[in-house]
Amino acid sequence: MTILSRRATLVAGSALLAAPSLARAQGAPIRLGTLTPLTGAGGPYGPVMANCVKSVITEVNGAGGVLGRQIELVSEDDQTNPEAGLRAARKLIDVDKVAAIMGTWASSVTTAVAPLCWESKTFLVTVSGADSITALPHHGWLVRTQPNTTLQGRKFGEYVIELGAKNAYFMAPQTPFTQSQLANMKPPIESAGGSIELLIYDANKPSLRTEVDQVMRARPDIIVLGGYTPDTTVLLRDIFRAGFRGKLLAYAYSVNQQMITSLPKDVTEGIYTLAPSPAQGTTAFDRVVRITGNTNPDPYTCQIFDQVNLILMAMAVGGGGTGQVIHDNIRKVSQGGGDRVDNALDGLRAIAAGKKVDYDGASGPCDFTDAGDITDCKFRYEQVRDGQQTLIRIA
Amino acid sequence: MIEALIQALINGVIAGTILAVPALGFTAIFAVLNYPNFAIGALATVGAYAGWFGNTALGLPMVAALGFAFAVAAVAGLLVQWVAVKPLESASALMMAIASLAAGLVLENALRFSFGNDLRGYDLPLLRDWFFGAYRVGPQQVQNFGLAVAAMLLLWGFLRFSRTGRSMRAVADNRDLALLRGVDPVRVSAVTVAVGAGLAGMGGMLIGLDTSVDPLVGNRLILSIFAAAVLGGLGSIPGAVAGALAIGIAEEVSVIAFNPAYRLVVGFVVILAVLTLRPAGLFGARAS
Repeated sequence: MTILSRRATLVAGSALLAAPSLARAQGAPIRLGTLTPLTGAGGPYGPVMANCVKSVITEVNGAGGVLGRQIELVSEDDQTNPEAGLRAARKLIDVDKVAAIMGTWASSVTTAVAPLCWESKTFLVTVSGADSITALPHHGWLVRTQPNTTLQGRKFGEYVIELGAKNAYFMAPQTPFTQSQLANMKPPIESAGGSIELLIYDANKPSLRTEVDQVMRARPDIIVLGGYTPDTTVLLRDIFRAGFRGKLLAYAYSVNQQMITSLPKDVTEGIYTLAPSPAQGTTAFDRVVRITGNTNPDPYTCQIFDQVNLILMAMAVGGGGTGQVIHDNIRKVSQGGGDRVDNALDGLRAIAAGKKVDYDGASGPCDFTDAGDITDCKFRYEQVRDGQQTLIRIA
Repeated sequence: MIEALIQALINGVIAGTILAVPALGFTAIFAVLNYPNFAIGALATVGAYAGWFGNTALGLPMVAALGFAFAVAAVAGLLVQWVAVKPLESASALMMAIASLAAGLVLENALRFSFGNDLRGYDLPLLRDWFFGAYRVGPQQVQNFGLAVAAMLLLWGFLRFSRTGRSMRAVADNRDLALLRGVDPVRVSAVTVAVGAGLAGMGGMLIGLDTSVDPLVGNRLILSIFAAAVLGGLGSIPGAVAGALAIGIAEEVSVIAFNPAYRLVVGFVVILAVLTLRPAGLFGARAS
């Protein structure tokens, strides 16, 4: 009797355990993850990025999902910190078993998370720029939508010369891109007869007066700011107090509208900024404007919009919901000709109709090299005028 | 070179004086309650936000905003103490320290939830520095320096002349004896936590005045505060001031000698050296 009931229990138990996997085999949801900075230096961008992905997925789910399966989104916070990012990535990979992670922002976080992804065959799409990232031995398990620092550094160097400066100083915290940024700024500056020096500061210091003093002694005619928003705020105040009258050039992601509003006008007036430009005027860009309700969405939100669209279409083309499928198919939907699409819904319909698609996104054409870098990107040149970021040109 | 050194010394003294305010709060709590309160960073952030709110939304002038920052941080500190730390009083000091660390994270995220990650600036004009020959100081720095010194003088007067202040010192010196003499331990603990947290809040606001306010403003200070308190001798009030000045100066002067990226190392090296050479710290007698 006991044996029987034990057997019955076993049977019942196994059936219970097996049931979800049976269900899964038919139309179980596909899980995707975002790992954006909801807090820390990237905090102004991460929440908007995660929401953008959510909107795209909600729309696609409403139209029946991908391959008849619903998409589930798990959003984690990397805190703009590699340790926290690593823990969150482990959770996404080991617990949630996501097929892909999107949106890692700080290069230090991406560098920490990438090995976990390629070892677990989870696809990684990032908005980080450090050259070293695509040089990692990732075997095709990552791509990025942000131009690398070789390209960004060269643009900064050329712009320094264009602004008429000769004696430049680069002030930056320690990041994976600081050295390559400097190395790539140097050639255009030096070939025009100028020079550039580097000072690396601690981004957590509440005052950078002594660091600014060090730089002022070299009498630079331009200071290039290579930090994130919180430390650049401290730095700009101290540069202003020190009575610096030369030019300032910064990344647009650090000297953003929010920072300009939080600092007295005198401090930010006249700062030049440079950033990879979203593809303004394209239909994909207009979609991001609609989703975010912001007429001037930041480049990272545009990029993550492209990332999720590409991933959804790659899974549809490959006929599966795993990281391997995305790995094998992402370039089949991003480049190589076919029907031009600017969003996953249209793309999925075209794919279902047996057509080849070529995605052109809100951040640019989104064509990837074998290493995972984008092949083309425009830059946005702006200057703070009268307390507003004012567009000079896109080139 | 000598000019650079003197300028770094000036910067260091000012940075150290402001650092001394939260370090005093940290060490006072350690002296009386015998545990390191790691919520001090978050309490500094609470003070920075309270001061910012008082200044920009309520239109308080600087000194009143500083008082407001003190009061709000004091209330937050008491909440941390009663809700998170007190239930673990019978456990070890380590448990209380961990509870305070956790409570600090909760506070920090509550602020983030309420105010977001955006940087907040005080409603103050930013002034160019005053130049004296080759040297310079900022008007805001001088004001902050004055406010920090005033806060320390007030604390000194309170500990020296008021009945409650004397009870606090008595408990710190010899708890059992103080209790025998009829000192009310609950009241003394509460006052100490309120004063300690309030000082942290003022320190946070002073830093915020010089930089800007975001949810991590206090978190960035915690290592320097801890290093200052350890260097001065945990639980020693004059030690906290001396320790903070030393850390402030060391952090600035080291910029000239080493790559500034290694500033964090200064704090850790100081802690390591003190623990190795003089575990009681400069002024500590109670580190047995």
